[in-house]
Amino acid sequence: MSGQWYKQQWLAVATMFILLTIIWYLAALILNGNQLIKNLERRQQSWSYSQIISEAYAVKRPALPAPHQVVAEIYKSVFQTKVTSKRSLLYHAQITLNSTLLGFVLGSLLGIAIAIGIVHNRTLEASLMPWVIASQTIPILAIAPIVVVVLGAINLTGLIPKALISMYLSFFPVTIGMVKGLRAADKMHMELMLTYNASARQIFWKLRWFAAQPYLFASLKVAIASSLVGAIVGELPTGAQGGLGSRLLSGSYYGQTVQIWSALLMSALLGSLLVWLVGFTEKRMLARRGGQ
Amino acid sequence: MKKNLVSLVAGTVLMASSMMTLAADKLTLQLKWVTQAQFAGYYVALDKGFYKEEGLDLTIKPGGPDIAPAQVLAGGGADVIVDWLPSALATREKGLPMVNIAQIYGKSGMMLTCLKSSGIETPKDFAGKTLGVWFYGNEYPFLSWMSKLGYATDGSADGVKVLKQGFNVDPLFQGQADCVSTMTYNEYWQVLDGGMTPDELTLFKYEDEGVATLEDGLYVLQKSLDDPAMVTKLAKFLKASVKGWEWAKANPKEAALVVLEYDDTGAQTEEHQIRMMTEVAKLLSTSSKGMGYLDPAAYQRTVDVLLGSASTPVITKQPEGAYSHVVFDKAMAM
Amino acid sequence: MLSTIRQIAAVILIALQMSLVVTLENGFYNRHMGLLAVLIMALLLSWFLLSGLTRLSDVGGFRSRVSKLSVPLIFAFMLLLVWQSLVCGFDVPLVLLPAPTLIVTAAWHNLPLLWADFQQTYLKAVVAGYLIGCGSGFLVARLAVRSQFLQNGLLPFGNFMSSIPIVGIAPVMVMWFGFDWPSKAAVVVIMTFFPMLINTVAGLQSVDPLHADLMRTYAAKKSQIFFKNQLPQAMPFIFNALKLNSTLALIGAIVAEFFGTPIVGMGFRISTEVGRMNMDMVWATILVAALAGSASYGALSLLERMITFWHPSIRGVKH
Repeated sequence: MSGQWYKQQWLAVATMFILLTIIWYLAALILNGNQLIKNLERRQQSWSYSQIISEAYAVKRPALPAPHQVVAEIYKSVFQTKVTSKRSLLYHAQITLNSTLLGFVLGSLLGIAIAIGIVHNRTLEASLMPWVIASQTIPILAIAPIVVVVLGAINLTGLIPKALISMYLSFFPVTIGMVKGLRAADKMHMELMLTYNASARQIFWKLRWFAAQPYLFASLKVAIASSLVGAIVGELPTGAQGGLGSRLLSGSYYGQTVQIWSALLMSALLGSLLVWLVGFTEKRMLARRGGQ
Repeated sequence: MKKNLVSLVAGTVLMASSMMTLAADKLTLQLKWVTQAQFAGYYVALDKGFYKEEGLDLTIKPGGPDIAPAQVLAGGGADVIVDWLPSALATREKGLPMVNIAQIYGKSGMMLTCLKSSGIETPKDFAGKTLGVWFYGNEYPFLSWMSKLGYATDGSADGVKVLKQGFNVDPLFQGQADCVSTMTYNEYWQVLDGGMTPDELTLFKYEDEGVATLEDGLYVLQKSLDDPAMVTKLAKFLKASVKGWEWAKANPKEAALVVLEYDDTGAQTEEHQIRMMTEVAKLLSTSSKGMGYLDPAAYQRTVDVLLGSASTPVITKQPEGAYSHVVFDKAMAM
Repeated sequence: MLSTIRQIAAVILIALQMSLVVTLENGFYNRHMGLLAVLIMALLLSWFLLSGLTRLSDVGGFRSRVSKLSVPLIFAFMLLLVWQSLVCGFDVPLVLLPAPTLIVTAAWHNLPLLWADFQQTYLKAVVAGYLIGCGSGFLVARLAVRSQFLQNGLLPFGNFMSSIPIVGIAPVMVMWFGFDWPSKAAVVVIMTFFPMLINTVAGLQSVDPLHADLMRTYAAKKSQIFFKNQLPQAMPFIFNALKLNSTLALIGAIVAEFFGTPIVGMGFRISTEVGRMNMDMVWATILVAALAGSASYGALSLLERMITFWHPSIRGVKH
């Protein structure tokens, strides 16, 4: 990768970013302007375009807050409030992060375990594989509130129910990726192992596990993003216990659109950071194998 | 001698029972909605130590839009819940033996807030209009009212068009609905905060329309009432809660600040909570027998309203044993 | 011989467990914990039944097709039997978890209602959103592959967007597009667009350099290169995204319906019936969603087999 390439990359991203910001400002003007016009017409007051443009970016309950409003809100709730305060976005991000990570670890372990079972046992494959896929068609997000309540009935509250929802969403990509990965070993290598009369365990540790690693990391990236979504949706019903999901909810409930957008942006940043971390680990892990 | 023996035994039992209460009794309360001044009394009682004085270790679980308190009660996630009578009776008919042990709110705070510009002045103007309604067990009073007015709610001609309103009053601002459901102590003020003025709005209070149903009351499962020890615990809880409510009523501003302390989302504002507390105070039970007494006549009024809706039955028959004064009487005697 | 005996024993025990559930009063495990032994034994032995059937699939021909279908079905049946046994046996309250039989009954009695919900959510919101989202994702990907600049700008942004919980924009979409199905379709469009974009770009770039050289040697036109070389190569990637999106779209639409709807739709039904404590109806709606999702996924898999029959991943290279 040359410096020239990076320069091109940055230029492209920056252009895209500027373009999107312009679109955002225009959209905010149109949406909020229409709202203003509606309000004024309802009261039979006259209005002019210049007046609408000047007021559209300072509406109390904007349909779409302007980028600078969202950035200001994030700045205020990240840098100008104590991390321990309930008004700090970092405080809420941390709550969400806890259940995301727990769910991600549980989901990845479960996914790897199921994949190993499926690869080594034909009965398990025939009986379980179709249901692994079908499991994802159950709208778990829609029944998250029920899950939270039912688990509350057996005294599992707080972090655990949210983490379990994350786990349910994140085990799937890991299972699918690992089944592919564990079977991706080179045929020649596989036959060599069989020639040496290697046991299934030896084949697994010496060959399959290595062949699967690139696949594992690719699916871990998907899984960690799913975990975050699971954690946030798990926070929606338990609206008053903190977390980015509850910020979204209370923002929606009190019509605080600026708060909704800042929570959304924060979760996107958190998501990108997590995916990047997985990617970074992948680079470090796979670098040892050379050839990457 | 015999007398001595009896008193000795009685003394020992008393000793034992007082020892029992020293280890604080755990109790969990599930609220109907998020932490806000609507529940100020409980938070005040918790904050000022009224529950502790009674030897109770109370946990308050806030609710949310997707939390059905009755479900939490059934699942054993809470011992007492705050719920509205219509949904409690509907749930009772589904086979969950919920019982009202105390009625904290004497009046209903529900209303329909409509835009004058939509041409709505009286209930006669509802035909063909779009009305925002909360579901999740809060739709029962509305359905009864529409049924009383003779409007179909299934979207047929000459009826009303019903929207499942989200948690906010935006549909009114976006022009997506002609009316939205509001509580006098909460959403109505959000409408005003959003820039509307009272003279732009027509308000239909359920109280004035004769379709009011009892709102925030305390409910437990029947099996709690079959256990004398639990009844005692609940009586202590009620006594402390009423004390908390009396305090909140007398000091609305301080009560609102206490609520803010307990709000984990950090989304509530001081101004809104103080206003809410002031409005809530107007709805609290003013029963001559004491706050928390469920007046059988008021109960019957709610039941009649619900039974009066023929088209969309909330309940189909006169409920039996849906309320009990046992806990209230015991709390009064303490 | 031994395995045959085990399989017969499994069938007998499963039948016994079923008759227990049907005949005994609810709450039988609360009264006699010992009865759990029957369930556990039936579960253990059913494993032999499954592996026996799996071995049948090696025989080939008609029998193997039967076993391929029957193994997952028996597995699912065992799961349902455990669910039914535990819910009835421990007398779990209906408001927490209804028994499978109750769910099916509720679905049967409310077919017209479920159909109306399905039309609103699936046939309107999901289908419209899915087609627009996947279609535009594909078109943008085609443009992006041609222009390095666009690709450099779009892909990082696409990755950034795919880590946003799209569900969070549902209330915003309701604000913009109203309460009816268009706002749900908008959520689905945004949900499906990025996976399609990222996968299609990866697929279109996966062309073998040898093939590309060959096309150039033949002086193929841009469109010919695209349709004869790039597109077929990208098909497995595209289908991957299509399958993933089919389940995403349904879930997205249902969750979006939590934030304000007309009084019809699967998400509306779930949230309203939870409030009314009709858990059997809630699960009946979930059943419809699961069936619809599995059917879409299955149909796409079949289509993929028909279109990319030549691809090694379909021809089945197993070891």
